[in-house]
Amino acid sequence: MRKAVLTLLFTSASAFAAIDFDREIRPILSDKCFSCHGPDAAKRMANLRFDTADGGAFSNSVIVPGKAADSHLFARISATGPNRMPPVSSGRTLTPQQIAALKQWIDEGAKWQSHWAFISPQRPATPAAKEPNWTRNPIDNFVLARLDQEGLKHSPEADKTTLLRRVTYDLTGLPPTVAELNAFLADKSPDAYEKRVDTLLQSPRYGERMAMQWLDLARYADTHGYHIDSHREMWHWRDWVIDAFNKNKPYDQFTVEQIAGDLLPNATLEQKLASGFNRNHMINFEGGAIPEEYLVEYVVDRLEATSTTWMGLTMGCARCHDHKYDPIPQRDFYRFFAFFNNVSEKGLDGRNGNAEPFLQLPSEQQKARQAELKAAISAHEKALPEDTVSAQQTAWEKAEFAKFQTMARDGLQAHYEFDGNLTDSSGHYQYGRVLKGDLTYANAAVDRGADFDGQTQAVFSHVPAFDNNKPFSAAFWLKVNGKLKDPVLSQGQFQLWLDDFELSGVQQRVPRLYVQLGAQQFRTRDRLPWPDNMNHVAVNYTGAGAFTVYVNGKPVGTEPVAGAQPDAKTNPDAPLEINFFKGRLDDLRIYNRTLDPREIAYLGGQEPLRAILNILPDKRAKDQKAWIRDYYLSKAAPAPDQRAWAELKALREDEKKLTAEIPTTMIMSEIVPSDVVPSNKEKPRETFILARGDYRNQTEKVTPGVPSVLPPLPTGAPDNRLGLARWLVDPANPLTARVAVNRFWQYYFGTGIVKTLENFGSQGDPPSNQQLLDWLATEFIGTNWDVKAMQRLIVTSAAYRQASRVTPELLEKDPENRLIARGPRFRLSAEMVRDGELYLSGLLKEQVGGASVDPYQPKGVWEEIAYGDGFTSQTYQQGHGDDLHRRSLYTFWKRTAPPPEMTTFDAPDREKCAARRTITNTPLQALVLLNDTTYVEAARSLAERMLLEGGKTPAARLDYGFRLATARAPQPRELAVLRETLNAELLDYKRHEDRAQALLKNGEAPVNPTLDKSELAAWTTVASMLLNLDETITKQ
Amino acid sequence: MINLTRRHFFRTGAAGIGIPALASLLQADTGGLEGLPHFPPKAKRVIYLHQSGAPSQLDLFDYKPALGKLHGTELPATIRMGQRITGMTSGQSSFPVTKSIFKFAQHGQSGAWLSELLPHTSKIVDDISIVRTTNTEAINHDPAITFIQTGSQQPGRPSFGSWVTYGLGSENQNLPSFVVLIAQSSAINTDQPLFSRLWGNGFLPSKYQGVNFRASGDPVLYLSDPAGIDKATRRRMLDGIGKLNEMNAATYGDPEIETRIAQYEMAYRMQTSVPELMDLSKESQSTFDLYGPDSRKPGSYASHCLLARRLAERGVRFIQVYKRGWDQHNDLPRDLALQCQSVDQPSAALIADLKQRGLLDDTLVIWGGEFGRTVYCQGKLMDGNYGRDHHPRCFTTWMAGGGIKPGQTYGETDDFSYNVVADPVHVHDVQATILRCLGIDHKRLTFKFQGRHFRLTDVAGQVVDKLMS
Repeated sequence: MRKAVLTLLFTSASAFAAIDFDREIRPILSDKCFSCHGPDAAKRMANLRFDTADGGAFSNSVIVPGKAADSHLFARISATGPNRMPPVSSGRTLTPQQIAALKQWIDEGAKWQSHWAFISPQRPATPAAKEPNWTRNPIDNFVLARLDQEGLKHSPEADKTTLLRRVTYDLTGLPPTVAELNAFLADKSPDAYEKRVDTLLQSPRYGERMAMQWLDLARYADTHGYHIDSHREMWHWRDWVIDAFNKNKPYDQFTVEQIAGDLLPNATLEQKLASGFNRNHMINFEGGAIPEEYLVEYVVDRLEATSTTWMGLTMGCARCHDHKYDPIPQRDFYRFFAFFNNVSEKGLDGRNGNAEPFLQLPSEQQKARQAELKAAISAHEKALPEDTVSAQQTAWEKAEFAKFQTMARDGLQAHYEFDGNLTDSSGHYQYGRVLKGDLTYANAAVDRGADFDGQTQAVFSHVPAFDNNKPFSAAFWLKVNGKLKDPVLSQGQFQLWLDDFELSGVQQRVPRLYVQLGAQQFRTRDRLPWPDNMNHVAVNYTGAGAFTVYVNGKPVGTEPVAGAQPDAKTNPDAPLEINFFKGRLDDLRIYNRTLDPREIAYLGGQEPLRAILNILPDKRAKDQKAWIRDYYLSKAAPAPDQRAWAELKALREDEKKLTAEIPTTMIMSEIVPSDVVPSNKEKPRETFILARGDYRNQTEKVTPGVPSVLPPLPTGAPDNRLGLARWLVDPANPLTARVAVNRFWQYYFGTGIVKTLENFGSQGDPPSNQQLLDWLATEFIGTNWDVKAMQRLIVTSAAYRQASRVTPELLEKDPENRLIARGPRFRLSAEMVRDGELYLSGLLKEQVGGASVDPYQPKGVWEEIAYGDGFTSQTYQQGHGDDLHRRSLYTFWKRTAPPPEMTTFDAPDREKCAARRTITNTPLQALVLLNDTTYVEAARSLAERMLLEGGKTPAARLDYGFRLATARAPQPRELAVLRETLNAELLDYKRHEDRAQALLKNGEAPVNPTLDKSELAAWTTVASMLLNLDETITKQ
Repeated sequence: MINLTRRHFFRTGAAGIGIPALASLLQADTGGLEGLPHFPPKAKRVIYLHQSGAPSQLDLFDYKPALGKLHGTELPATIRMGQRITGMTSGQSSFPVTKSIFKFAQHGQSGAWLSELLPHTSKIVDDISIVRTTNTEAINHDPAITFIQTGSQQPGRPSFGSWVTYGLGSENQNLPSFVVLIAQSSAINTDQPLFSRLWGNGFLPSKYQGVNFRASGDPVLYLSDPAGIDKATRRRMLDGIGKLNEMNAATYGDPEIETRIAQYEMAYRMQTSVPELMDLSKESQSTFDLYGPDSRKPGSYASHCLLARRLAERGVRFIQVYKRGWDQHNDLPRDLALQCQSVDQPSAALIADLKQRGLLDDTLVIWGGEFGRTVYCQGKLMDGNYGRDHHPRCFTTWMAGGGIKPGQTYGETDDFSYNVVADPVHVHDVQATILRCLGIDHKRLTFKFQGRHFRLTDVAGQVVDKLMS
């Protein structure tokens, strides 16, 4: 209905004015006719198209200008029965008004225009103002001219209080303080308002406010989005955006750096970082997914985000076929796609945080620490000169080699060395098999070892089953990477695993080792101080109900665990299996006897050494060389060398930890052909047209290019992303400036001049005031894309400063305020609702930038749908202290379970680029503001402010609270309502102090101990009412 | 719709707002699109029992006796026909055909074949339509479940329930019109994650997003009054807020303020209606017996089925239940049995219960996963143990109730349950058919976004007449 009302508004003029093709006719033709008679050549019917003037529309009497009665078009659209256009099967119908409009247009001569948005804006002459006393800048002349055309009047200026609150929210996302308001009211100078605007534009909050919308476009989030949806780190990019707005980076630079910062000559770190705009898309690593499929999805996402954000075009619609409405052939889509395709990335990535390519970003402190460690390491290395150490080591090796005995093979049932396969070297040929997933091999304890990733399943089918009544021994090297509790080894009724059932100290998870055979379960008595590298484990079973366990060659005490249940479902003869285990295994040996402690000491000590000494020094792998050097310097070298070595190792460990702590950020990075950089092995990616948009259907090869309907790349611009970026900000580009100023307009008025911010094509809404749009666009270019100047221009216009009270007539005629006959009035954005209430209640902790934080969130929101252990961002760890009260754009954003208090207030889920939010009004919003801990705590904090800062009398305090919430003074009847509730609650909470106590316990912010609890509780309820007023969460 | 109401309000309500006016506002605000339904509807609401992870059709519904002899042999290339397979098995050197370890038998008048894992479903076969030829295009969980729930493999589209409530509006004054219930896995191996986009509003206004009724904590996020606020205090606060908002409405004349007043009242009613809904204590013992022992456990699939019936009774338009845990890549015999143990009885009970209450006539129930599972074993085929990878080309879904023809098994697959032989039912066809039962022409339920008239069924979808009564 809203649309119907609007159409009425804009067509009402047609009863007495000539019809406007762009505004009234093209939208009808586009929406109702183009899908069969439009740009898509493959689907075009009757060889007739209405998107161009020369596509048959004016031949064969389809349209006879001036004579609707003679035009086939009119005959067909007004026909009944099977001849009617559009046909029933299309699901589309024309309304009587639309048919009448088309008739009138033909009768008036069927004047044709090319689509306005594809023609560069010409600066229109500013219309003479009929009310020169009202207009403040040219915006007002255009608004007034348009109002005049519709026979409407502008509204009076809003009062100063309303205006200050409006502009403060609009430019900073927060309300004014009482002191700011009083100062503003006291300032009687004619430019008091402009001075205030200038101050607000200088506030760091301005950058935060401007960034909020940009994050929606950039689909910014803290997780990858697909499937497991684990953590990524892009907040440095987010902070770059805030900073760019605060520094008033001109929009052309802002654009070039985000599209192609990495390609700028001598690109700075900041410029490379900025290119992360196009790495904010979702990234996948679902097991079994096909990389090629996702490479295409990532590039499509970049294309869609870029074309929506900068061009207001729905280019994505041309992925599978020519665009149905706009002149964008499928080929143009893939040429545009090619700009974003040549990135050095993987199809499946992100399992461990950021996906390639990314940039390291050490802090100043970290840089200093890096240098410090580097110096210390180099000093220690000098203390261990290679020549000397090497000579001494060789002598030692010779002596050691002579001493070796070989481990007895008696009773050896199976022996898996994991040196690259699952061969059994016991002589029994009991080879293992990988059933699922991949096994990788890396240098480990004894030569190489096998890495299991938690998804790998290996089975050793013919190893004899373990039996309660017979002795056996299992010995192996082990390193655990994943979650504990999953078995390392299992066979029928036998299982061996680690468990950190209880925490030892603060978050220190130290496991015990468990073995179970049938109903017997044993565990190590002590927790194992399990170091990060490989450890040797040996388990002896005597055949008579007792286990002994050895770790790194030494016995560790065990104790039986009572009440263990045998797994009734498992077949005792099931094969030995390694499944779910995440970590590294090496040198697994199974014996049908118990091992002697000396044998175990040997396996856990000298066996690895023997294995390496057996290899000639120059045949040893890098890791093996390192291992033996470590063994020598740790155990056999002269004491001073051993000390120096221990210190050096510790320093290197510190360096490694530091590197892991240094944040990274994902960036764009072009694959450079090897004829330019010979060391580059990766081949530049070619782009093909994909039939039906499917990654499997590569057809014609294409090169990068801009849509053919728009001007070509500027001369001399490279045909890569940098050229594209320069093209976007070329003054000749008809879209970029219009799309940008239209978006700014929406920030202030709630609706763009073109309502469809994301679509300036023929299916988009026509501009409500094209002259104004074009003037703003040319003004923006003319001021060298000065973003702050544009905001200032808009908020200092008389149009913006109007009162927002609406009359029934105006509501009827222009419900969405497209013509600006009144000031804006609409609910604040999700972020502003929360930030504003935290601020006015005194809780907001302001700090620009930094890693995302985890404020209050109901339990289970993530966990209910998450994958579980083993990945980041699966369980919500609520923060404390300042983290609870930061501005909302710093709230951690998990895409598959976004913060509910944000999405409830219409924030998008950030999976895809979102150009605008709808504003809804729902009961769930009421529940958030009434019951969310954030707001209950804010109410209590506001109550404290009212009691402590608001004066002595209840009336003064209520007045103060009301001003904090709405900026204005309450009317007596409003005060009376608040007073009535307050009195009732005071009585109630005095009688029920326990409830008062309970209410004050909501939230973690400390309660002021000097205040009476019952009194504070009663005031908290009144404060909560203030935080729930429509007016408090509305800009008016 | 909204504007009509607003204008209506403006004329009558500037000086204050009465309760009857409030009621009509809500009614209008929760109404659907003009001109809908397009046809006389057979179903008024949907209960969608989504089995997340993809249950094995080969072990539950699609009986393939011929596999007995072929067990352990290689899957013929003539059957696979180059079909792409996931990265989890594409490197496998062997694709051994694997028969089901479970016994099948025929049931009911209709003689439907079901596995022994579904003893309770076997009692309702004459009430349901078993579709053996459902098929999809996606081969991994994220794209496949997104496809079946939103009509597109890639995120960004509104979910099924959003589309339906956007089109038809609500029949209920006190509860959301689109409710989501999630039951965790009963299997031992890790289950698949879900995503809030599956009940998200996509590009539709956010009021059409599904509301997750949770098993622990607040059933609806933020539903409970905070500690220290009792009902009397809450009522006094709301009265005060309402009066203050009315005063402001008189000053500004913005109908949004009237809507806000109404939404606060709706929130208040939800504080009563939701706990009343979630409270199963007044259900009879025979009802608990019907749904099985789990039905007393909050959060279980059984209690969700019982809740689904209660939601249906209260006129909730779209009830989306998820059961996690059906991703049997390995240990299928064990984990599939565990899943069925918790799912079979409650699913059948829901049909029987709806039927005995006369609700089945206008409630459409659908049961199924996002794809099927392969006839070949993932990994090595062992005696008594096997696993199956993802299979998009055919899987089994069953439907029942409003508009669905009862007691038939529809569609034929080949001897390997690999390819469809007759009567394919694409995911978009399922969606089109369900919408048709609701009285909606799937081609005419559209929303213009980015200039395009988007549909749940994208550019495809055929109503399957033979599935309809």
